[in-house]
Formats: sequence, structure tokens, C-alpha cells
Amino acid sequence: MERREFVKFLVFGSLLPYIKDINSLTSFPDLAVVESESPYKGTKLAVEAIGGIKRFVSKGDVVIVKPNMGWDRRPELGANTNPEVIKAIVEMCFNAGAKKVIVMDNSVNDPRRCYKNSGIIEALKDMGAETPLPNPRVAKRVKIGGEWIKEWEVLPQFLEADKIINVPVAKNHSLAILTLGMKNWLGAVGGERNRLHQKIHEAVNDFSNFFKPALTVLDAWRMMVRNGPTGGSPGDVILKKIIVAGKDYVAVDSYGAFLFGKSYEELPFLKIAKERGLGEVELQRLKIEKKKV
Amino acid sequence: MKRRRFDKYRFLVYLRIFSQALFFLLFIFLLLYTIYPEKDEISFPLDIFFRIDPLVLLSTLLSTHSLKSTLLISLIVVFLTIAFGRFFCGWFCPMGSITHFISFIFKKSKIYKPKIENDKKVWWKYYIFVFLIILSIFSLNLFGLIDPFSLLFRSFATSLIPATGFLLSSLSFHLSWDSLYQFVQGFYLERLSSQGILIGLIFIGILLLNIISERFWCRSLCPLGALLGFLSPFTVLKLKIEKNKCSECNLCNIVCPSGATPFPEGKWKPTECFYCFNCADKCPFSEVKFPLSLRESKRKNIDLSKRKLLLTSGVSLLTFPLFRTTFSSRRSNPSLIRPPGAIEESDFLRKCVRCAECMKICPTNVIQPSILEGGIEGLWTPILIMRIGYCEFNCYLCSQVCPTDALRKISMEEKKKIKIGTAFVDKTRCLPYTFGVSCIVCEEVCPTSPKAIKMVEVETPTKDGIKRVKAPIVDPVECIGCGICEFKCPVSDLPAIRVTSVGESRSEKNRMLLEGVD
Repeated sequence: MERREFVKFLVFGSLLPYIKDINSLTSFPDLAVVESESPYKGTKLAVEAIGGIKRFVSKGDVVIVKPNMGWDRRPELGANTNPEVIKAIVEMCFNAGAKKVIVMDNSVNDPRRCYKNSGIIEALKDMGAETPLPNPRVAKRVKIGGEWIKEWEVLPQFLEADKIINVPVAKNHSLAILTLGMKNWLGAVGGERNRLHQKIHEAVNDFSNFFKPALTVLDAWRMMVRNGPTGGSPGDVILKKIIVAGKDYVAVDSYGAFLFGKSYEELPFLKIAKERGLGEVELQRLKIEKKKV
Repeated sequence: MKRRRFDKYRFLVYLRIFSQALFFLLFIFLLLYTIYPEKDEISFPLDIFFRIDPLVLLSTLLSTHSLKSTLLISLIVVFLTIAFGRFFCGWFCPMGSITHFISFIFKKSKIYKPKIENDKKVWWKYYIFVFLIILSIFSLNLFGLIDPFSLLFRSFATSLIPATGFLLSSLSFHLSWDSLYQFVQGFYLERLSSQGILIGLIFIGILLLNIISERFWCRSLCPLGALLGFLSPFTVLKLKIEKNKCSECNLCNIVCPSGATPFPEGKWKPTECFYCFNCADKCPFSEVKFPLSLRESKRKNIDLSKRKLLLTSGVSLLTFPLFRTTFSSRRSNPSLIRPPGAIEESDFLRKCVRCAECMKICPTNVIQPSILEGGIEGLWTPILIMRIGYCEFNCYLCSQVCPTDALRKISMEEKKKIKIGTAFVDKTRCLPYTFGVSCIVCEEVCPTSPKAIKMVEVETPTKDGIKRVKAPIVDPVECIGCGICEFKCPVSDLPAIRVTSVGESRSEKNRMLLEGVD
């Protein structure tokens, strides 16, 4: 903890008992929801609205950006995070003085095809970001310390990074009902992850609490509403043109559920998150800044 | 021995070595780049070596009575061989070059000691050729097993590359050297092979045969060498030994890698000579020459005994019906899952030269050499083993590299419709059905739209009473048999969902449901 942060902590901490709504203290909203014709601009505005990237990334940081690029699908099919969103985030990270930005995913389909066909490699060309292929063999078995998952293999890049930014895409999913930010962590781990589905709602909570992203940006520009998480037909996708950003990953997912017309109560993993106090699920208790450009 | 001055033949020897190295490197280059080119279509003919191989042309022409136009390029090799003899073996063939190089090593290390009489067994390959050509006429095309390019490419693709990949990947792991790992992954070197050991040992064995004599494979076994030998008795490049200074030292015979016997006059075999020019280069008196001449000269032609030829033909004729006693033509093997472009099985077997191009380019490593899935006749033809990989939905690279159209060229749209088999849920192993545990991995990864795997609620009796869970069912109409469900199934040894070949588009017989049944 830096000195300034420590002082802040002391001041706010001593004031805490007297204040009912802690959000009124900070000027930043909890969530930014931007509707934009351009996913790139939408992303920048959304991060801007919650305090700008410098709130999350410090100079000299090694940042890992975790998109969903797990599928050999082109961007228009909405199975992977929009490449323009990733491009905007990587650009902001470098502008904030990040030493290194890594973009990677332990994909479900062949990684070389996923990286290419998701359009993300193309979008990051000449930006200086690293896009290593995942090596499940070097995944380290580490303490996850979850309620269910105690230990699991994690890709080393995620363990070595200073800051983690989660950039999921909003899709439906027949087991998890929706795959948003918290489910995205299944792409950062190795091991026999196809067994995590046996208690998927517990697993996503355990991993979310382990990775603790500095920032979550949900790509709901294209939203896969059926046949997820793979899709495969443009008809599986609707154009929502929305980008959601927030520090509280539970809040981001709760808003993502709202975009699908669902309340958090319909999503077991959000109910668990609420029980464990990992974040705020009640949208009316969040300060949400909405923008349309 | 006095060192000779640099003359025309010394130059030709250097040129020949240069050419051998160049073409071998070209082969390796094409091999390494037979990978996903980061786009859907291949823009470079990666199968060049098979296109210039007249044996591929001849064998598929005989067994299928049809030919692929790209193979006609090999006629250039045919005409050049008629004119200039088997220079192709000595100068261009990468299999020849590697055996030549190994022979060179064996000679230098004195593992092989050159002999004066070294032209034994040179006729073997002609009998092998005759044996196989008769089978080809009866539509049984086994040339792919020993065609030199098929052999070489297959050995590299299914054994040497996986072995190298294993070594490099382990190295990167132990040294924590990620950029090496990225290289290994970028070139798809980390591969598994169902028959890497067998194919690799056969290849090593063939190289070890060079202990018996120089370039043993080329002189005694290679069927392409035999075909080119049949074409080359009237070559215009004829060996001539000036008699005035010849000391009958036999050095030319000793240095000859092919058993063509340059000395004495009349013994030289134009059908065996590789035109390596070792004899002309090494002759202490520069008496061995290769003048261009159209005149008849004294020479030794292909010398096959009539009895042995009759015996070979007889055995071949007997072997053919033996191959047809299998029941595989009546009933399909459930494990015989062919790549998506594969044509109907009997035509497929006639065309496939077992080159392993499709196995090499497959990004998921799912295409593997078969053992007995397609009968003995189908040895080393490509099959999909879904526990090694799965057929990537948006990929149809294998159909683009097949040199003989055994896998016909298909489009992206076609690929997504072609069924290579059908997935079946094994309800005695599937987690929701057997233990009431929730799991939807197969449905999650199913790539078709709409999904061929759907989840339905079922009631499963468990030790804690009846549980209601979602369980997968397969839609046999939507399922294309890609096998990603089998590959990703968490029941790791015998997956709870498995693909078998039934329902494959290419077969009229291997079906189960009548149209309109639902």
C-alpha cells in the first residue's frame, strides 16, 4: 500500500461509521454503461466514466488483459470479446504507463486459430502487446482458497501480473445460464477444467475471488442470446452496442444479467456472490452512469 | 593418390550435392509449413513433391481410371528420365538425398566399407514394382506404403516431428524458456501420433539398411526408382571409359552408390545410374566420362528372371483376392472416421497414397494413421481419433492438401454440412445420467448452430434419492460427428459421448435413420 492510499484508508476508515452511503464519498460511479456505435469508443468512454484507466493501472505495471477468445469464431458471431474493445483497453494501459501488456486466453478450440479468427491479434498489431499461446504444461498448481476449489492450476502469466483486467463478452450458457465476467476465469486456468462444470456456480465464485481483477469491462456490444457459448450463426447474436465497466466484478455481472432481462436471483452464481459478500448485486444500490453516444 | 585438378566432373559433383541439399531443404520447408496458414485457404501448393511423382500418377490412374490434372506435371519427370536417365534419384529426390547422406556418414565412420562388387540386389525393386502394379490394375493401390515421398513425408509428419516437438517442448519446460515453447506451438510441432513408434522405427530401419550397401533403399527397394529405371535404358547420357590409361583399379565401382557398375565396359547399367558423377570425379586418370550420345552402346539392361517374374505375378494375383475377403466392404468399422473431404471408401482406398499431408496440416492433431480400422489394405490411411483431437468446425485444410483427391476439395460451407460420423451419449457413463452430477461440457463446446447436443431435464436415481439434472441428448440430424464432445468429455478414459462413423455423408450404406424419421 502506498502512503497516499494508507492515509486515505485511515481517513475514510475513521469516517466510515458515520456514513450511510460510502459511494457518496468517491466521485466515481460504480458502473459505467455506455451505448455507442463504436465498441472502441464505447470502451474508452466507459473506463473514462469510472475514473479513467489510471485509477486501475499504475506506471510500470505488468498488466494482463483477459478477453474471451476461446472459440474459433469470427468477431461478427459474438463468441469472443470484440477485438476493438481489447484494442481500446490495451491502448489505455500503455497510455497509463504499463510496462508490459499481455493478452491471452486458454482457449477451448485450437489457440492459434482462436487468436487469429477472433480478430484480436489483428487488432493489436504493432501495439507492443504480447499475445503468448497458453501453455497448459507450465500452469502452476496454486492455492485458490475457495469454498469449493482449494487448489488449481493457473497459467503463470496471471500469477506474475501486477494488474488483471477482465474483458468478457456477454453470452448465454445452458449451465451457467449466462457467461459474463466471473465465468471468464475458466479461461485463465489449466488442469482438468472440464470438471469444474460439476459445480460451476461455486467454481466461478472461487476463481473470481482468487483473481480479483482490478477492472472488469463487459463487452455487450454484441450479445449472444441463444446457442451459447459457441453460437455460430449471426442469428444467435443481437446488437446491443453496450459496454459496461466497473471495479466491482459482481456488479458488472449483475448488470450483464439485467441486459439479458434477468435478475441476479435467477443466476445461482450471483446469489452465491451475494452470500459471500464478494460484491454488490442489487442494481438499485449501485451508482450507475449511463451514456449514449 | 595424386589430387586431381578441378574439372567438369568435380564441378558437377558439387552442383549435385548442392541440388540435393536444396531439394531436401525445400522438402523440409514444405513440411514445416504444412500447417494452418492463419487463413482458411492455402495459397501455395504444399504437395509439390507428390505432383512431380510419376508413381502417384501411374498408380492412381491404374487403380481408379481417372486422374487429377495437377499430377500431370510429373510427366515432365517421365520425359526427362527417358532422355537423361535416373538423374532424378541422384539430384532431386529428398529420400535419395537423405539415404545418400546417411551412407556418406556410414562410409566416413567405417560402419560401411565399400566393396568392389556392389551390384547385388539391384533387381529387387523391379519385382516389388511388378507385384504392386498388378495389384493396382486390380484396383488395390498399395504404392503409398512405399512410395518414397509418401514414406518420407509420413515418417516426418507422424514420427520425427512429434519426437522433435516432444524434445523441444520438454526443453522449453525444463529451462522455463517460453519463446521456445511459442516457436514449438507456432509451428505445430507438439504432436501426438498413434503410430509414431512403428513408422519411426521403420524409417530408422530403412536408413540403417545403408550398412548393407550404399543407398540400399534407392538401389533395392524404391518402387519409384524401379519405374524410372524402366524408363531410362535409352538415356543419351552414356558412360564411357577411355581405355588408354585405365589401370582397372575398380575405384569407379567402389565409389558408385547405386550399383551401376561403371567398369568393365558393357557392365554399366543405365537403368541404375543416378548420374552422381562420383566415378567420373574419382577416376585417377579422368578416364570415366559421360558424353551425350544417341548411338547404341554396350550396356547391361534390366535383368529380371522370367521365372521370378512369373512367381511375383502369381503371388500378386493370389494376394489380391485375399485382400477382398475382409468384411469391411460390407459393413463399416465404427472407428473408421475419415476426414471431412473423404470420398466413398472403396474409391478412397484406391486414391489415398498415405502421404500424411492431411495428418500434418490438421491443427488439432486428430487425423492419425490408421492401423487396421480400414483393413490391412487401409494401413496408414487417415482416420480421426477423437481422444487425440477433434475436427475443427471452421477448418477444411486437409481437403486442400490431398495430392490425389482422396480427400476432395471442399468449401467452408460444405465442410460445415458434411457428416463424418454421429455422436452417441453413453448413458451408463455420462455424469448426469449415472450420478446425477451436472455437466454440460459436450453441449457447451458443440459448434453447430443450432447445437446438435441439447440439454433435457432427467431424473437420476442416486444414493441420495432422485435428482433432477440437465442431461445431454444428440440430435442426429444436426450432428456432424466433429468429435469435440468426445474430446472434451470429463470422463477421461472412455468418454461418455463418442463418435462412430455411422451416418457419414460419403457412404450410402453406413446409415441408420431413414429420412423423415423423427
